Amino acid sequence: MNQSQIAQRTWEMANNMESVNAADEIYQYDRKQQQDILQAKPWEKDPHFFKQIKISALALLKMVMHARSGGTLEVMGLMLGKVDGPTMIVMDSFALPVEGTETRVNAQAQAYEYMTGYVEAAKQVGRQENVIGWYHSHPGYGCWLSGIDVSTQMLNQNYQEPFVAIVIDPIRTISSGKVNIGAFRTYPKGYKPPDEGPSEYQTIPLNKIEDFGVHCKQYYSLDISYFKSSLDKKLLDSLWNKYWVNTLSSSSLITNAEYMTRQIFDLSDKLENSETALGRAGLFGLDPQEKKTEDKLSRVTRDSCKTTMEALHGLMAQVVKDRLFNQIPQAQSQAQESAQPSSQAQA
Amino acid sequence: AGVLQAFSTPEYNSMSAKDMASMEVDEDVAAEATSSSQSLAVESTSQAASGIINVVAPTSPLPQPAQSSASSSSLSVVAGGSNSEVVSGDGGTVMASAGTVGSVSVSLHPLVILNISEHWTRQRAQEGKPVQVLGALIGKQTGRHIEIMNSFELSYDELGGHIIINRDYYTVKEEQYKQVFSDMDLLGWYTTGDTPGPPDLLIHKQVCDLLDSPVFLKLNPMARHTDLPVSIFESVLDLVNGAPTMLLVELQYTLATEEAERIGVDHVARMSSHDTQESSLVAENLQAQYSAIKMLASRVRLIAEYVRASQRGEVEFNHEILRQVNALTHRLPVLSSDKFRGEFYNQCNDVALMSYLGTITKCCNTMNRFINRFNLLHERLAMGRRMRGLFF
Repeated sequence: MNQSQIAQRTWEMANNMESVNAADEIYQYDRKQQQDILQAKPWEKDPHFFKQIKISALALLKMVMHARSGGTLEVMGLMLGKVDGPTMIVMDSFALPVEGTETRVNAQAQAYEYMTGYVEAAKQVGRQENVIGWYHSHPGYGCWLSGIDVSTQMLNQNYQEPFVAIVIDPIRTISSGKVNIGAFRTYPKGYKPPDEGPSEYQTIPLNKIEDFGVHCKQYYSLDISYFKSSLDKKLLDSLWNKYWVNTLSSSSLITNAEYMTRQIFDLSDKLENSETALGRAGLFGLDPQEKKTEDKLSRVTRDSCKTTMEALHGLMAQVVKDRLFNQIPQAQSQAQESAQPSSQAQA
Repeated sequence: AGVLQAFSTPEYNSMSAKDMASMEVDEDVAAEATSSSQSLAVESTSQAASGIINVVAPTSPLPQPAQSSASSSSLSVVAGGSNSEVVSGDGGTVMASAGTVGSVSVSLHPLVILNISEHWTRQRAQEGKPVQVLGALIGKQTGRHIEIMNSFELSYDELGGHIIINRDYYTVKEEQYKQVFSDMDLLGWYTTGDTPGPPDLLIHKQVCDLLDSPVFLKLNPMARHTDLPVSIFESVLDLVNGAPTMLLVELQYTLATEEAERIGVDHVARMSSHDTQESSLVAENLQAQYSAIKMLASRVRLIAEYVRASQRGEVEFNHEILRQVNALTHRLPVLSSDKFRGEFYNQCNDVALMSYLGTITKCCNTMNRFINRFNLLHERLAMGRRMRGLFF
């Protein structure tokens, strides 16, 4: 065996050793440590205590798929996990058999019953974590907390600490090609948050923009990072060996056609709004008035740029596929064999 | 006033939107479908080619049984030959004879694979050493096609060295998942480990009590090769030495596509510390396409190399594979009819129209701001005089 083979064997042996390597330590559940943290409750003194959240690859995938399966309906579920200093860790998630912003009392009871049953069953198969938060989907209108969400979360943070709220937009995920997700914690009532500076801008459709604006100062978002186990990494790498076919054959222009149409309608409404606002401003010509209409038009511009870019990305994929599979240079052909395909193409 | 005129675009916007919505998408769907089946054909042929090349190369290890070819059943005839050497650990084969083709087609969601991986990792982290895990598979079955969509853990007891599934636990879980995934049924079970053996058959028989013909998925977390270490089997009753015994037949499976799942899997697969702020949005978007095309190119190169090698006589002439390669090349170009061209250009035009509108909106915005500032500058002087006139 040469040097490289010896090195590889030693590395493989090290990886197969009985002890858990560092990446997988997060999967260990230290009951005592968690109970100590629950006793200490460091979040009670600081409303901004939790700053980061780590989501496992599995939890993310489950939440995205569940949100997608709901179509245009909001769906919701719960997450299991633990806490580590100022970081919340989400290990797993599960769906709840109720609608997203459900406010019926019996629906709450059904959800509660399901939850206790599920967590108990999970403990029997080695999943010891407790419920650490809830997630729900906003299909097509972005990741933020609505008025109902804010009040639900405030209630949760009073009685079920530590708790986090996660929002996923499956439609924007598909249209932009990146997972659209946000994790939030609300401030207690009456708390005045220090000015955080502008958060990442996102397009909100007109019919939701008021709900967004009224409550957007009552919560803050956590930095999201993801983790996966070493086996996950290996499986994902080998998954790519087959999955590349799906990536190449996906066509975002077709999947997103409806969403894009809706965005354009929304854009036209917003443009009309800013047009009327501009008309009014022309009479006054005062500074504050202008700033508002400027913002409106600039916002519309930003939204339209985003929609356009997504369409362009989709078209790029189509053009690439066309070049790859449809445009065969007929120039070089030595063997007689290659003369046949070209005649077939012309036929 | 000139700025206000440009706002006639809203009507134009909604008009174009309606046109786009009624866009003819048939040709595009056809193009996409053929390009995907094209890529699949490339994939399957290259797997066969690489399998054969591995046999010839003396230093490479024995090819693993074709666990991971995403191919149609015609290829299983070629690959099935390598199945015959599978022997279980403690004597006695549990695999049916080579060449037996499965009765159902299976598509597997990547979520299930991650579920099993997490289950195994969690148990290992808590026990301190690798343990075999057991669970159930749920999904949908239509006719002879099975789609495995989700999975959950099963509780079991060990009695006398044999694993007995806890039925009560399963009933509780069944009630739960029926509430959330009402259209999914139990499809089979999964476990971890190397090649299947008699203990697996015992568990399989227990699952047969719950379901007519369950499928059995085995994931090998310690696999060394780079192919997906997941195999799916179903059971058949065969006559071995005169007695009807249950044997396992390996099934070919494909990976199910769902756009959101693909993006999620892509995201978790490539998430290292993201400092993509510097790179452009275009580059980010094209990264996924680029990786996929790189794979396609490597597979095509492999096929070309194989053909050249058999031409030179280094590899034995395999007519089946060469026929497939020939069929592959004859399928190019995939779609080149006039109708397709027409629709494709329509689509290009629509997107160009959208970008045109986007650019116009941007121009309007810039113009508006410019005019406002201009007015402000000039009115300031006039306003200042007026204000002074008011107060003094």
